[in-house]
Amino acid sequence: MDLTTLLQAVVTGVLTAGIYALVAIGLTLIFGVVRIVNFAQGEFVMLGMYASYALWKVLGLDPYLSLLVTMPLLFVVGVLVQRWLFQPILHAPDLAQIFMTVGLSILLMNAALFFFTADFRSVKTPYAEAALRGWGLVVPLPRLYAFVGAIVLAGLLTVFLGKTDVGKALRAVAQDREMAMLLGINPWRMYMLAVGLGAALAGAAGSLIVPFFYVFPTVGVVFGLIAFVVVILGTLGSIQGALLAALVVGVAESLGTLFAGADLGLVVVFVILVVSLVVRPSGLMSRA
Amino acid sequence: MSAVGTPHRYVPLAFLAFLLVLPHLLPNAFYVHILVTMAIFAVLGSAWNLIGGYAGQLSLGHAAFFGTGAYVSTLLVNRYGISPWLTLGVGGLAALLLSVPIGRICFRLQGPYFAIATIGLGEALRMLVLHYREITNGAQGLTVPFKGNAPWQLQFDSKLPYYYIALAMAVAMVLLARWMERTRLGHYLRAIGQDQGAAEAVGIDSARAKARALALSAFATGAAGVFYAQYTYVIHPDSVFSLGMSVQIALVAIVGGVGTAMGPVLGAIIMEVFVQSTQVAFQGEYPGLELMVYGGLLVAVIRWCPRGVIPWVSRAYGAVIGRLPALVRRPVPA
Amino acid sequence: MSAALLEVDRLDKRFGGVHAVAELSLSVHEGEIVGLIGPNGSGKTTTFHLITGFHRPDGGRVRFAGRDVTGAPPYEVCARGLCRTFQVARPFRELSVLDNVVAATLLRHPAHAAARARAEALVRTVGLEARAGTPAGALTTIDQRRLEVARALGTEPRLILLDETMGGLTPTEVTEAMRLITALRERGLTLLVVEHVMRAIMTLSDRIVVMDQGRWIAEGTPTEIAAHPAVVKAYLGREYRHA
Repeated sequence: MDLTTLLQAVVTGVLTAGIYALVAIGLTLIFGVVRIVNFAQGEFVMLGMYASYALWKVLGLDPYLSLLVTMPLLFVVGVLVQRWLFQPILHAPDLAQIFMTVGLSILLMNAALFFFTADFRSVKTPYAEAALRGWGLVVPLPRLYAFVGAIVLAGLLTVFLGKTDVGKALRAVAQDREMAMLLGINPWRMYMLAVGLGAALAGAAGSLIVPFFYVFPTVGVVFGLIAFVVVILGTLGSIQGALLAALVVGVAESLGTLFAGADLGLVVVFVILVVSLVVRPSGLMSRA
Repeated sequence: MSAVGTPHRYVPLAFLAFLLVLPHLLPNAFYVHILVTMAIFAVLGSAWNLIGGYAGQLSLGHAAFFGTGAYVSTLLVNRYGISPWLTLGVGGLAALLLSVPIGRICFRLQGPYFAIATIGLGEALRMLVLHYREITNGAQGLTVPFKGNAPWQLQFDSKLPYYYIALAMAVAMVLLARWMERTRLGHYLRAIGQDQGAAEAVGIDSARAKARALALSAFATGAAGVFYAQYTYVIHPDSVFSLGMSVQIALVAIVGGVGTAMGPVLGAIIMEVFVQSTQVAFQGEYPGLELMVYGGLLVAVIRWCPRGVIPWVSRAYGAVIGRLPALVRRPVPA
Repeated sequence: MSAALLEVDRLDKRFGGVHAVAELSLSVHEGEIVGLIGPNGSGKTTTFHLITGFHRPDGGRVRFAGRDVTGAPPYEVCARGLCRTFQVARPFRELSVLDNVVAATLLRHPAHAAARARAEALVRTVGLEARAGTPAGALTTIDQRRLEVARALGTEPRLILLDETMGGLTPTEVTEAMRLITALRERGLTLLVVEHVMRAIMTLSDRIVVMDQGRWIAEGTPTEIAAHPAVVKAYLGREYRHA
């Protein structure tokens, strides 16, 4: 095993980590504000992918441009999901919340299967094969763009949460709902905003990876699971945690694939999950 | 005074008698197959219920136990010709042993964290089974060697014996749940399911209680896996170790009503009726439609009755029972 | 002086930057009623958590009936005879009142029938027999507090830690609660009581320990404590200069 192969694995891992971070941030935002664990987050990614695919197929729209459509679209989906599905069960036991989102996940996956069939689809872009090469390393452009896009979106979200009034209101609700209400903030609107944003980020992740990832109904499952590992490792509710944890998971998966084989890369991720749950259940960013 | 004479007793007994006779009333073997499937899921749902319903530990990784039972049994049957009647116990035991480390790792966590951990472990096991092809035959799965009608090998020509075995397992599970409700373990599990911290404060060793419940649950699930392997002859990782199977197992208990002895039975019946009727309605023409409706139904059920269907049913059942006459007149007190 | 039933020795706990309990030492002798008072946030409930195993102390020891129980899990502490109630009642909401207490009596009486019989007696003791079959979540706050006490008694403790059982009660209810506590002592129980209702704690306690900002600041009989300058200062603040 030479250094270049190892470095290549690390580089690939870092690039993938960007996407994992984006999906995970959406998930952690939903949990942080609404306190619901969204098992359908991966399916939001899948929806974004199909939306971008459809736009490309019908209108020839470049996937990165389609972000302008898929993000608002998924935002609306998120808002509706919160309003009609999550809101009535906010005070129901854990079991109800878990299975509601599991049911949603099954519904969405199979809706995709029904409408689009199980065929693997792909989007062909002119830059699909382009790559930066140097020092024996290959950085495929689509992956690089996806990484950059993810970081940019994460950055925008952080600015939004930190500097805008609405963003601060969102954080207020996440920290202390009653207090936020006393300050005149409408928590129901904030919940819808949170789920809308969470879904939009997942959808964006989908659009960003469509140039180099096959689109099929169950593609979201893996992203959902990995996002969970990232969120738990990075502490539920923490965005910086999600970024850091995504890096760990992305690189670990990549190295795992390198050393243990392609089909065991995910096992490494689950090992990380288990270790993290056993050693530090509240995550890297917790104060325990 | 005969206890059997009260409606409380004779209605379930009558129902059981009906179930024993039912397959002979059905037009063909396909319907018996549906009954067998219902019975298998009733066993699986009941087993899940021990840990998921009573103790509130929502496992989404029970397929790990199901698959372990199926695989261990089939490997032993294939390699050493051991009778599946024996491997029912061995498969269950293997699943039970697996439950020990899984419980140790996962029980430190609560609520959604626990569920996620079980998903992770279940999926990891599935991938490992897929990977170690030399032992498990990977994605191709394993087959039980066909021996025709061989009762000692748990293989039968007709579906009827399978039905009666599965029914016996289901009845056993319901009785186990009923019995457990009255024991210390049952009480402890329900207290833990309500509030683990408060339970510990009154002297309940929650880790031990949960481990015990999980062991029982895993054993039963593993045994059901053995039976399933014998019934369907073919098993692969994506059928017996899958997340989909774990979800279905949990759903049976949830739809029917968690934390009750009859809930999973009701849930198994409802789910199978639903699956079959959508298959009939859509004739397999539209892949995904059925599960889409399934997912939609799940969402709807949770949205409108988060406690499952059994509260309504048990109220209705209670009302009916109240109106039925006793068969034996009670002696009038002097 | 015989060895204390409960000995807390330099117990210490930090949460992030907050030094919740700082080198706290106290002891409770068998048959005593000891009151633990202090302004809000002085670390009283945290002390209970540390003694009963809900949090691990960063330093210090807890000895109960001669054994070191520092950091032992809550169920073990309870099994040894040291039981607690919660400041905000934590009933098993969907279980009936009776089943709530059965969950506790099963500790010493594993057989269901015996556990149930003892539970029924306890439910009567705290005056909840009319509601024995009600789901605990449907009880009023004060009835839930009664249930907390019944549950604690179900484990047949030697020492009970009562955490603000009288908060928000009417004067009549307070008197009744005081009667209950005295009755408990007469049954042979030892009590460590956190309370803000001054009338109750001054009347009931043999001794009072005062905490402020996680530290022990004073200890003595109720009369001594009422006049203690450090105690007055802790409750009323530095500006109060009355002699």
